[in-house]
Amino acid sequence: MKLGYIAMRLVKTVLITVAVVLLSFFLIRMVPGDAATVMAGQAGYADEAYMKGLRAEYGLDQPLPVQLWRYVEKVAQGDLGTSYVRRQPVVSVILERLPNTLLLNAFALLVAAAGGIWLGSVAARRPGSAGDSAVTVLAMLFYAVPQFWLGMMMVLVFAVWFHLLPPFGIETMGSDLTGLARLGDVAQHMILPGVTLALYFLASYARLTRTAMIDVADQDFVKTARAKGLTERQVSRRHILRNALIPLVTYAGLQASLLVGGSVLVENVFSWPGIGTLAFQAVWSRDNPLLLGIFIVTAILVSLFNLITDIAYSLVDPRVELGR
Amino acid sequence: MLDRRAVLGAALAFPAQAWSAPGGRRIINAMMFEDPAHLNYPLSNTRIMQEICGNINESLLLFDWQFKPQPNLADSFETSRDGLRYVFHLRRDVVWHDGVPFTAKDVAFSCGVMLPQLNPRSRASFSHIASIKTPDPYTVEFQLNQPFNAFLLSFMASSAPMMPAHIYEGTDFRTNPYNFKPVGTGPFKFADWKRGQYIHLTRNDRYWRTNQPGMDEMYYRFCPTPEQRLVAMETGAVDVAMADDIDTVVTSRMLANPNLAVRTDAYNGTGEIAIMELNMRRWPFSDRRFRAAFLHAVDREFLVKAINFGQGKVAHSPIPSTAPYYDDKVLTKYPYDPARARALLDEMGCKPKRGGVRHRFGIMMIPDGGGYWTRGMQYVKQALTQVGLEVELEAVDWPTQLRRSGNWEFDCDCNSYGEYGDPAIGTSRFYLSSNIRKGVPLTNLQGYVNPEVDRLFNQASVAVSRAEAQACYSRLQQILTHDVAMLWLYERKPVFIHNKRLKNVVMGPNGPSDGFGATELA
Amino acid sequence: MSFARRFFASPPAVFGFAVFLVVVAIALAAPFLFARGPLSIVGMPLLPPGSPGLLAGSDVIGRDMAVGLAYGARISLLVGIASTCCAVGIGLLLGATAGYYGGWLDDLLMRVTEFFQIIPTFVLLMVLVAFLQPSLGSAVIGIALITWPQVARVVRGQFLSLRSREFVEAARVIGMGDVRIIVTQILPNALPPIVVVSSMMVGNAILTESALSFLGLGDPNLMSWGSMIGGSRVAMWVAWWTTVLPGLCIVITVLALNFIGDGLNDALNPRRRG
Repeated sequence: MKLGYIAMRLVKTVLITVAVVLLSFFLIRMVPGDAATVMAGQAGYADEAYMKGLRAEYGLDQPLPVQLWRYVEKVAQGDLGTSYVRRQPVVSVILERLPNTLLLNAFALLVAAAGGIWLGSVAARRPGSAGDSAVTVLAMLFYAVPQFWLGMMMVLVFAVWFHLLPPFGIETMGSDLTGLARLGDVAQHMILPGVTLALYFLASYARLTRTAMIDVADQDFVKTARAKGLTERQVSRRHILRNALIPLVTYAGLQASLLVGGSVLVENVFSWPGIGTLAFQAVWSRDNPLLLGIFIVTAILVSLFNLITDIAYSLVDPRVELGR
Repeated sequence: MLDRRAVLGAALAFPAQAWSAPGGRRIINAMMFEDPAHLNYPLSNTRIMQEICGNINESLLLFDWQFKPQPNLADSFETSRDGLRYVFHLRRDVVWHDGVPFTAKDVAFSCGVMLPQLNPRSRASFSHIASIKTPDPYTVEFQLNQPFNAFLLSFMASSAPMMPAHIYEGTDFRTNPYNFKPVGTGPFKFADWKRGQYIHLTRNDRYWRTNQPGMDEMYYRFCPTPEQRLVAMETGAVDVAMADDIDTVVTSRMLANPNLAVRTDAYNGTGEIAIMELNMRRWPFSDRRFRAAFLHAVDREFLVKAINFGQGKVAHSPIPSTAPYYDDKVLTKYPYDPARARALLDEMGCKPKRGGVRHRFGIMMIPDGGGYWTRGMQYVKQALTQVGLEVELEAVDWPTQLRRSGNWEFDCDCNSYGEYGDPAIGTSRFYLSSNIRKGVPLTNLQGYVNPEVDRLFNQASVAVSRAEAQACYSRLQQILTHDVAMLWLYERKPVFIHNKRLKNVVMGPNGPSDGFGATELA
Repeated sequence: MSFARRFFASPPAVFGFAVFLVVVAIALAAPFLFARGPLSIVGMPLLPPGSPGLLAGSDVIGRDMAVGLAYGARISLLVGIASTCCAVGIGLLLGATAGYYGGWLDDLLMRVTEFFQIIPTFVLLMVLVAFLQPSLGSAVIGIALITWPQVARVVRGQFLSLRSREFVEAARVIGMGDVRIIVTQILPNALPPIVVVSSMMVGNAILTESALSFLGLGDPNLMSWGSMIGGSRVAMWVAWWTTVLPGLCIVITVLALNFIGDGLNDALNPRRRG
């Protein structure tokens, strides 16, 4: 039965992707600016003959439904078209940058989860105390801070005032490092953007953990554990934490879908060469195939993330059955 | 957990370039703020192209600080007394990067076919050519149909780069695959291009200047934002920052940095003036008094001093003050005087209506991501409000800017125009009525028509004596400044910064567009 | 305890409300206090806060930061409130219809909501604003278009549960039309969670608007906190106040709104606070 559910979800993913393709295709066509003009302008030359040639080459002179059908055909074969600006297949452009975004997001997820759970459990151990209030206020603060501004404050403190960390890019320009040295270089560059990306979600994790642990702490099985003579710490770690994981797993899935689409700002501030930067450039340069490709890839990834989280959810909480 | 992170951060201190270049290769690291669309120099003559292709392609002549022509690919040259015949004797030891010898055939092809077809500036200069003869493989004879005293200046590196006939002849120039792996005669040859990362040039071991190049590799690293470029210069990741790489806001940081040398004369050859253009087909822009009022309303001294942090010089003439033929005596100047501006507007009938607004119009901006152009236009908007002119700043991207300016779909726009050594090359194109071409940017977009001006420009360009040319250009400056034929804001003095570990970086008024062949480690 | 008393019993809510009032007051008073407007250049650029006549310093082209901050409040509040009103309007309409009638309408709404959850909404917003040409109006419309699903979900949930209640049955029995039932019977009871969601949305809308302006997709003729930060990206290296001060304004305003939201939540749903 579980397999059937997964299969159904995969089918649903495909359907949603198709819907995304269709809707995005029309949405993006609305952006003013003829692609041929863009490409011609870039080449420094804009006469009608050249642009006509470009339009024919990219099939832009066909009626819209024909363009859509051709596009869907190609997508089904895994070809997302060619980027107008980079003259490269969209798939390769995205695949080049996708690992960078995933790396950053994974790091941010780790930082947010680890930091948030720790803060939340500290707060939950003594609800109503000064420490608890401090955590709540901190969380509220992080919710109110604009991500791009937080990023710039990081740059201000850690690069402008104190030359501690590199503020831009994924690795030192022109360094040609390999192996462990390269890893270290990338790790160093990942700190500022990763922490910036993580802080908002850290707040959410802290609050969620705190609430979950307080709620669970009141429940019977915990009281039983206490009665059995386990120390506070053991109770906290073994029972409360494990049961509090459930809403956290749900939230992690949600965060994953937000992060993939939401790293535009952080990547922009830190010039992190990921999908977010790509999307931003694509909007500015009217690179429609690239933009469309990003929408599609993101949609697929998010659907997959949601599926994984749902499965994880069912594993963590045996009370949950998939496909209720 | 948080403590450990802080300690880690402190331990991994901001590195100064600690690694040494692989195998002891001497590398120049430069920057590009975007990937060029291609590397076909005549097809696209933007600043990036000039900086990169200046190392790959060369022209027949080089120009010194006094703008006097010096031998380059042409070993020597003669001009006939009547100014109608120019003979160039080419060096015999030049080979293209692919080993094919450079001969007169390449010159005839470049000047006769490829350049005029692709490049508007070349088209104008070389339209004076009646015939090109190549009596032997190392001699080129240009016969002009009328004297053109700026003919030699047309052979500046960025105006007439020599292109290989054996690669381009008979092909479609726009789709030739060598547009992405250019071949030239210069000190560096094309090695590699990773889009979004870098363009890599490597030394030309068979370069005809045997003691050059002084360095082995060049990298143009992709560096899209001004903050990134700033950090790159400060950490030494990059050695060279050209024209607008570093925002004027932080030039002070560059000046204060003991490792960096800042030059303000590297672009004298271009002679750029930041200007604004008005669509003279529309009222009130068609009225000279409006244009005069515009200049009176804007405090150009403040524009240079405050908005541009002192980088530049107020322009009073279509010809830059550092260029030949500039004549200060004949100019009508328009000092900052808002009261005078209002009086002029009243006089021409552009009176304040309800709300105190005399006229509303749009200014089409340059997409520079908030740089000095955006700031300049914001100041202009503000200044014009003081005299009752309401401006709407139109933010556009480059393709739109080119399209709208070429098709005259604008009220007012801004740009900067280079003179490139002689008014006949870089200045006349904006005032000649014959250069009013719809759909083509960088022409007489305003629609300025003055038959006297047409006559004078033509006369000046064919004048055989310097004195005659000067007389024409003086009269031209007198007329054009009286007419306020364009809104000249200030002469640009783009800054060129390099790390002091390099020397011989700027060797003439064309700076980087002459290439870095002479550059060596200090 | 009445609603108002419950709300003002919470110190953070009171603090938030007070701060919000101050921000609104500054926003409303700006044109009277600083008649020359925020784009007016008053002197040399990049003067630090505390320079003569410049409480908050001057920005990169010599404009008074304090005036810019005051006028920026107008933009943030305007876009925040207007976009939330639009989003709530759309969300109410669609959510109520789907929740009340159910069936395929409900399914359709759920699919649409899922679509918005899956696509990168901020990128969609950028595309929308680029299409509509960056301006105050396009920011409001764009933000409304990507946030209405949140409202619709809540409204739908409320209507689903309330439509089968007795008082609704009673109204039907006496012959009330569907629209009247929706508006006069269900809606007033569904309001509390809608109000809470809306107050949080205003804060988020302010953050989103500032993000758009920061990226250069805001109205180029207006001064907003986001555009001030965006314009200071290079200047920050020589003048920290051009970045720090507008950001602090955003933080304070959104924090205040979040406190208000929390206060409303507690006041409207009196429950044991975890």
